[in-house]
Amino acid sequence: MIRLSGRLRSALIIGGQGIRARKTRTLLSIVSLFLGVLAVVVVQAGAEAANQAALADIELQVGKDGTRMMYVSPEKAGAMAAALETLKGRSDAVGVIGTSATIGEPGVNPVNPGGAPFDRQAGGPDYYYGGGPGAEMICDERGCRPVDKAQQAEQTPNGQAIELRLSALTGDVLPFRPYRMKSGRWLDFTKVPSLSPGIVVNLEAAKGFARYQVPAEMRIYGVSTNATPRIIGVVDDGVPMPTAYTRVDELLNWVPASSLDMMGGVETLLAPDAYAVEQTLRARLVGLGVPAEQLRADPVNARKAIEEQLRLVRLVFLGIAGLVLLIGVAGILNVGLATVGERVEEFALRRAVGTPRTLLAGIVLAETLLTGLFTAAAAIGVASLALKVVGSILSGRTPIPLDMEFPWQAGVAGIVAGLVAGLLGGLIPAIRAARIPIATVMRA
Amino acid sequence: MTPLIELDGVTKTLKGQQEPRTILSGVDLTVQAGQSVAVLGRSGSGKSTLLSIVGLFDRPDGGAYRIDGQDISRIPERKAAALRSAEFGFVFQRFFLLKHLSAAQNVAMALVNGQGWLPRRQRRAKVMAALEQVGIAHLAKHRPAKLSGGEQQRVAVARALVRQPRILLADEPTGALDTETGNLVIDVLHEATRQGRALILVTHDWDHARKMGRVLRLEDGTLHDVDEYEHAPAEVAA
Repeated sequence: MIRLSGRLRSALIIGGQGIRARKTRTLLSIVSLFLGVLAVVVVQAGAEAANQAALADIELQVGKDGTRMMYVSPEKAGAMAAALETLKGRSDAVGVIGTSATIGEPGVNPVNPGGAPFDRQAGGPDYYYGGGPGAEMICDERGCRPVDKAQQAEQTPNGQAIELRLSALTGDVLPFRPYRMKSGRWLDFTKVPSLSPGIVVNLEAAKGFARYQVPAEMRIYGVSTNATPRIIGVVDDGVPMPTAYTRVDELLNWVPASSLDMMGGVETLLAPDAYAVEQTLRARLVGLGVPAEQLRADPVNARKAIEEQLRLVRLVFLGIAGLVLLIGVAGILNVGLATVGERVEEFALRRAVGTPRTLLAGIVLAETLLTGLFTAAAAIGVASLALKVVGSILSGRTPIPLDMEFPWQAGVAGIVAGLVAGLLGGLIPAIRAARIPIATVMRA
Repeated sequence: MTPLIELDGVTKTLKGQQEPRTILSGVDLTVQAGQSVAVLGRSGSGKSTLLSIVGLFDRPDGGAYRIDGQDISRIPERKAAALRSAEFGFVFQRFFLLKHLSAAQNVAMALVNGQGWLPRRQRRAKVMAALEQVGIAHLAKHRPAKLSGGEQQRVAVARALVRQPRILLADEPTGALDTETGNLVIDVLHEATRQGRALILVTHDWDHARKMGRVLRLEDGTLHDVDEYEHAPAEVAA
């Protein structure tokens, strides 16, 4: 063990001396290797960034990995009310119901009919929310029927109102969907529900409110009385449509029980270990006649799905980076062979004073491995700096969050690439160094 | 008393691109600890080949080579490297100092060779003691380019002495030096034999050879004792 340690130390000391003695060559080796290692680092960093960006979106819109999702259909009367009551006040499970609402002047066409994003043409959100054309229904004393939007638009004047998706929550959804607060505060579920619903709007809705001056009057779909909402915060929820979040209990102050079952079901988010509440919910719903097989709690497994999607792309790009790295390896190999050729006497002399062949090979490998490590450090530094610069320049201009930290996986990939390149580039020179005949010093 | 070095009928044939050439055809040599031996001979007579075999750079084709009575004629390279490190010190005609290292670092080369490990402080103490022994401790930090030929050869001698080997092998160590500096280097080497080291000196210089305890001539592949009165310096130098 001591001998091994001594050899390792000797190799590092002598290798370090060799690098210091041939700074220009070391620099040239680093230059030849740099692009290859940088390519590996960038591909890995890019893959991680894409992974994180995709994962972040999915976490916001679907849920964190491990979250279990159960859908409670409104088909059975009382099922939604039972679900909301079961989930109320719980921290390990949250129920979400959705409806559409219009905030602004009453009796006018909103500036974004159908709850479309403000910079797009109307009609967009139907697809986003899964409804499709004709999905929006209107119910009155004559029964329920699809809304004839064209006719509706012709009959009503245009005005200052914003249509948005209203998501009502039984509890704090942030542990399941980590919306990023942009301003104000999130919903407080500990207080007594207010008759003036507090709402947190997303960035798109906030854009609409900033652009259009609308009065604070909220018309909720299927409700005859208008509420006065209070906007208490803005979040980034990854949703491109204008959306608002409110407490279920504050919404239900305005929604009659008879309208509740028209709201399209309860999306239930369960913590990975929330089996007790799941059993209770299941039992109550089955008791109401909901078929047990409809009550499936499917876990979110976004990371695995994304990684599988990105694996092929990552492999292709890593292959290209590997080719660039090979060119660098050829460069370091060339420099290594030339250097060993020049150091024949030194290696023969070292053998004469008792240096074993393995250590001579180790010295050459130590030099190329250290060169590979220096290159990796330089490539990681440049990539990290570039990420910061690009992030600061493009911040807010792309949907991908560019303010991310430099991924450690890219650093590890860079170090591994540097070491592998050093090993490949140094192997043949190391073997040659070990084979230099010792008698060279005698014949000189 | 078991001799330190014992060659018994050692043969060596060089097989190059040309006809195989027998260089050593039965060399017998015995060297005791503390003894100094000079080997004279014409160029191409096999002096360096002999030294290569004694220094374990090469192996004999035939005969036996013993150190302390142990036959090492066929030892593997790994063990030979360990023996070279522990038992031998080498001085060559060319100094073979690494120009990017200081005098002290050149001497330390023999300590940083993968044969055991010495902490930095102990290594430095040994290096300085070796440089002191050859009288150039004050030049420890100088690089070879800043040293004269004699000083460089003394650094090489210090490198040979730093592990305190029992055997010193010197292959024409004064060949690149003027007479005065050469004498100085020979004196340093000879001084080492007073501490119990054996010295084998290959030289063309009779004046240096006769300072050794025993003078041998390699001729026709075998060693012969040389009487001071039987040779002329011009003959040796040819």
